[in-house]
Amino acid sequence: MPLIELAKIGKIYPVGNQQVTALADLNLRFEQGEFTVLAGPSGSGKTTVLNLIGGLDQPTSGSVVIAGRSTGKSSPAELAEFRLNHIGFVFQSYNLIPVLSAAENVEFPLMLQRLPKTERRRRISTLFQQLSIAGLENRKPNDLSGGQQQRVAVARAIATRPTVVLADEPTANLDSQTAADLLTLMRQLNATENTTFIFSSHDPQVINCARRVITLKDGRLQSDMQQTP
Amino acid sequence: MEFALLAWKNLWRNRRRTLITLAAIAFSIMLMQAAHNLAMGIYASMVDHGVRAGSGHIAVYLEDYPRSRDESLAFAPGSLIDEIQDLPEVARALPRIYLPALAQSSRESRGILLTGVAPLAERTANPFLKHLLPGKMIRSSQSNDAVLGCRLLDELKITDGNKLVITLQNRQGDLVSELFRVRGSLKTGIRELDSSLIIVGLEKASAIAGMSGKIHELAVILESADDEQTALPAINRLLRDKAPRAVSWEEAMPNLADAIKLDYAGQKFIFLVITLIVTIGVVNTLLMSVMERIREFGVMLAIGASPAQLRRLILTEALMLALAGIAVGTLLGSLITWYLVHYGIDLSRMMPESMEFGGVVFDPILRATWDFTWMARICLYLTLLTVAAALYPAHKAARIAPAAAMRKH
Repeated sequence: MPLIELAKIGKIYPVGNQQVTALADLNLRFEQGEFTVLAGPSGSGKTTVLNLIGGLDQPTSGSVVIAGRSTGKSSPAELAEFRLNHIGFVFQSYNLIPVLSAAENVEFPLMLQRLPKTERRRRISTLFQQLSIAGLENRKPNDLSGGQQQRVAVARAIATRPTVVLADEPTANLDSQTAADLLTLMRQLNATENTTFIFSSHDPQVINCARRVITLKDGRLQSDMQQTP
Repeated sequence: MEFALLAWKNLWRNRRRTLITLAAIAFSIMLMQAAHNLAMGIYASMVDHGVRAGSGHIAVYLEDYPRSRDESLAFAPGSLIDEIQDLPEVARALPRIYLPALAQSSRESRGILLTGVAPLAERTANPFLKHLLPGKMIRSSQSNDAVLGCRLLDELKITDGNKLVITLQNRQGDLVSELFRVRGSLKTGIRELDSSLIIVGLEKASAIAGMSGKIHELAVILESADDEQTALPAINRLLRDKAPRAVSWEEAMPNLADAIKLDYAGQKFIFLVITLIVTIGVVNTLLMSVMERIREFGVMLAIGASPAQLRRLILTEALMLALAGIAVGTLLGSLITWYLVHYGIDLSRMMPESMEFGGVVFDPILRATWDFTWMARICLYLTLLTVAAALYPAHKAARIAPAAAMRKH
């Protein structure tokens, strides 16, 4: 059984009086431990696929099943719990909570998981070492560079030890060196923790390091290829 | 990092807006606590003044004497005065007689209210008689001494030491006259009373009127106004098999009670308006704060926060806003109350004439009294109101669709 299965997915957004089709008749399967990129031009439906997998949005038609569980049959509270324990999100614009320090941002989902304070502190310390941002724990997001903020965002995404990390254009705001470092880090996590990574990106640097590249165009599957990074 | 800490940090995102809302809550609490405590102090002073000069905290009458003022409704107190006086809550039990009469000097005559009192006991309790200089008070209950209202003294064109004749109809229907000598005069500040009051000894008044020791009123002064709850049933138990009945000062002095009720109702209305304005301010602050953070709430939902947790976060922010405002407001309200308790507001320079309210003269220095129960209650009400005001913003935050929130904002 695949970890994630999208079956006959359709997604239509109302824009004013118009209906815009974001996805049409899309079928995708993802296995545990994949390192996959959803490629395609802007508006091709990459972010929509990530949102559907993460339970942030519901398809207009079709079903999304993750680890045997359909997201369409879950309540908002159940979806929140599912995201908390199984999904890690990394966003293009980092989306750190500005009033919290770097460490508190990473601690937030751990607090939602009701982990004991000592365990939270231990995980944060390990992650900050692992992601080379040790010493920045008490800095506010505004006092960090883009690369540092994205590392904090990655730490937040993987702190809960999720099954899947969904990263929406994670390198879009980073310089090439920082982007390369981040991708190396994610590949290491994929290799050591067997965490499934699904990216959306049209950055060739990201596409080249993926083992599977799914290309979307106008909400439809254009290609689905395995490759050697 | 805990939820409460996040809520506290969120409050200070827009420092100016939070400070304004906080100031509104604090100011309203301060205003309401200080105004209420001052009003309670003034009312307590008025009641105290009123009951001591008037019918006491509790008054014992025959039938409906307080309403009808029928002179025939007199009763023989017998041992009742001593029995009531022995109750632990009672400071004084003051027997009184009230008789309409005519006072004549050698030059003028006036209609008056002859009040017969027990001079020694009355002087210790009655605020007007307390201020009489030594030698100006009625010497004994049987004496022909009289203390007159200051305006009446002027109207009769007499002074201390002069004589006057008081004529009244006794219980047998005969007109009787008695010569009295003015010992002193008093100023109650109530024009009507100062123009008509003559106080004489109880036994002398009773003898002239042929009342054979009967009285119209037994005014009971309590050690503390708060003792009324226990003293009234205790006095009623003593009166179980007797004709007179005990009533509270509210029943005995309905004008004063109604005036206080009316005044406090007006104050309550102002408090209601203040709390409504504060509530609108809180709703505005929290709603603005939610609207500004829609994308962030979308992110929080994406990383695992539940709608219920977002709702709780907003409500916690409101609770903290309320508690901070209430803490500051209570501190300020307490400081003002402390000042008003110790120093008060002196209106004597602004108003040289005595101030009368509800038929009672009150002290021109307005002093507050501590009402801790009410202070705590208003804090609780405002906390609940602030949290209630946050329900809509919290509900709005909880209904955010995460993908749409991150896409649109």
